[in-house]
Amino acid sequence: MIIRKEDRIWLFLFIMPSLSLFVVFFIIPILFLFITSFTNWDGIEADFVGLNNYIKLFNNKTFIRSIVNNIYWILSSALIQVPLALIIALLLSHRSRGWKVFRTILFIPQVVSSAAIALLWMALYNSEYGLINFILDSIGLEGYKNHNWLGTISTAQPALLAFWLCYVGYYMIIMLAKTTSISEDYYDAAKIDGALQFHMDWFITAPLIRSTFFTCLILGVIFNLRQFEFVYLMTNGGPANKTGVLVLYIWKELQIQRLGLGNAAGVIMIAFGAILLLLMRRILRSPNYD
Amino acid sequence: MRYCFISFMFIFTFMFNNLLFAKEISISWPSIWVAKDSKAKVIRQLVNEFNQANSGKIKVVLEDQTDYDLYAQKLVAQLATGKLPDIFTIGTDLRDIFYRSNKGLDFVPHLDYDSNWKSIFPGNALNSNKKDGKIYMLPYEIFVTPVIYNKKLLKNAGYESFPKSYKEFIKMCKAIKKTGKICSSQMTNKNAWTSMLWYSQILASAGGPDIYNKGLDDPAYLKAAEIMREMYNYTSSDAVGATAAVSAGHFLNERSAVFMNGPWFIKRYKTEGIPGLYDNLVIAPAPMVEGGKGGIGGYIGGRQSSLAAGKQTDKNKEKAIVKFLKWLTKPDNVARLSYDSGAMFIIKTELPDDMDRLFKDMSKQAGDAPYVAPTFLNGINSLSIAREFPQALSALVLDDASPKDFVQMLKDAK
Repeated sequence: MIIRKEDRIWLFLFIMPSLSLFVVFFIIPILFLFITSFTNWDGIEADFVGLNNYIKLFNNKTFIRSIVNNIYWILSSALIQVPLALIIALLLSHRSRGWKVFRTILFIPQVVSSAAIALLWMALYNSEYGLINFILDSIGLEGYKNHNWLGTISTAQPALLAFWLCYVGYYMIIMLAKTTSISEDYYDAAKIDGALQFHMDWFITAPLIRSTFFTCLILGVIFNLRQFEFVYLMTNGGPANKTGVLVLYIWKELQIQRLGLGNAAGVIMIAFGAILLLLMRRILRSPNYD
Repeated sequence: MRYCFISFMFIFTFMFNNLLFAKEISISWPSIWVAKDSKAKVIRQLVNEFNQANSGKIKVVLEDQTDYDLYAQKLVAQLATGKLPDIFTIGTDLRDIFYRSNKGLDFVPHLDYDSNWKSIFPGNALNSNKKDGKIYMLPYEIFVTPVIYNKKLLKNAGYESFPKSYKEFIKMCKAIKKTGKICSSQMTNKNAWTSMLWYSQILASAGGPDIYNKGLDDPAYLKAAEIMREMYNYTSSDAVGATAAVSAGHFLNERSAVFMNGPWFIKRYKTEGIPGLYDNLVIAPAPMVEGGKGGIGGYIGGRQSSLAAGKQTDKNKEKAIVKFLKWLTKPDNVARLSYDSGAMFIIKTELPDDMDRLFKDMSKQAGDAPYVAPTFLNGINSLSIAREFPQALSALVLDDASPKDFVQMLKDAK
């Protein structure tokens, strides 16, 4: 389509307000972040240090561990959380008796504050009075009587991931909404051909909500790349720096006024996220992508 | 003449209007002394009394900041952006960046102008806060951190008095553990406050009160790490990852026998401890490291919070801020604060005879102490090392790091 010259002016005028906001609140801060990542800025003074911050970061075990932990979060979301949400969405799409109750129960955590959820799970995991240890002890697993789930190196990261995987409501509701747009004709035709419920789910519903599933996967990756509040509230990156994530690492650097180093970590995080999303787009691209 | 009269009337009306209807000066004070803090009640009373006495002219507005760590982080951000609150409290750890920011209100002219005010700060207290001829921080709250133990729980374990050495202390911990109780409350979350105090005590006892001038290669850091590792064998199972509330909760509920914290906690033993707890509490100096360079009865302590203000462009507001700070540092008001909360202040006051017994014991023992060494948090003079301490400690106690590795982790953090 060829845009006329006078239309271009109007186009530009209409884009201007949002474009200026985008430049002020996104482009300029990113440029600022990028420039200061080559300095030892501490909030008061700044000297150019070249690539020193980046070299320091890649030689720092805690930083590398944070990236690895972020990958754990991303993988567990992409491989377990979102597929689990898909299965639940498919089950609820049958509209069996009580499906609305289940839908509500599964979605409730999304409207509860992260702080409340974190406190609740910290209490459940507590080694002295936690419900989880009580149950394990009750069923004869005495070895777990005083097990500190969040304070033991081998269980802290799995414990953080395990509780998070239960929160599938957000993705479930998106995929469930998509199922309502599927025409009943497909199912009627399948029933005439003698298809079972499982066949209909697998061969009709699942392919038709594939684009939404991919969207959920991308959302899951983005959310988990930004993971912060649960780690901050529940373990603060401990024990022994074993559960830290990228945003927490940046937060801690900013806390001690190593703003240059923190900003370098921020640049790496943005680059990491961009590469990840480009890769995902390439992997998830399909000829039937609607 | 008529024009003169009109001009005079105009000027008179303008001045009269300004005098009568002068805009009230509002002073913001984001304060950590709110909510559960032991000083909250009297601080609020003092602010209300000041506002009443200066009604229509000055109003101090308290902004509740209930999280100490978040408050410090907010302050760091404000130092970087240059938007400091009118009044705030600041810890020694942020002293360097605060002075370098050049964003503080310099109290030197005000202290020089009012010699009475200057005289309430003892000895060298003001000079130690002077840098490049400027004083941005008025020393205010001080602290010492002795051992507080529950004599009932010690008695149940067969101990009548508190051990003098760490060797005896560990023996006592074993005996306490046999009674089903926890020996000492510990924590590794946030700044690992309680454990950090213990580490500071052991460090000063092993390496002497000047340990922080000797560098991290001094063997005292290693020795202190070894003792800390041993102490964690007799603490609660949730100590790794525990917050200050969890750590204190064990002591307040008589689950642990020994605790370490500052005088500001005295009121909480009474109000939040289980019935009868307060009556069983006894103050003692921390044990000694055998062969260490510290002295018997040495204490850990220092300056907790200093009063500070943001630089002002409005001279009237600056005067109002100084007026309020004079009110806050008035010896009678400081005595009220101390009496109600149990907190200690650098300003000398006449304290009533019925002052809390734990406060009296703490003051006496601190007065008799051969030294009051700084805490690790303040003494190490590095925010990055202080930040790494809880992570290194958890690695140490979970056997992910040897005492040597623990010290190396601190070194690497710099």
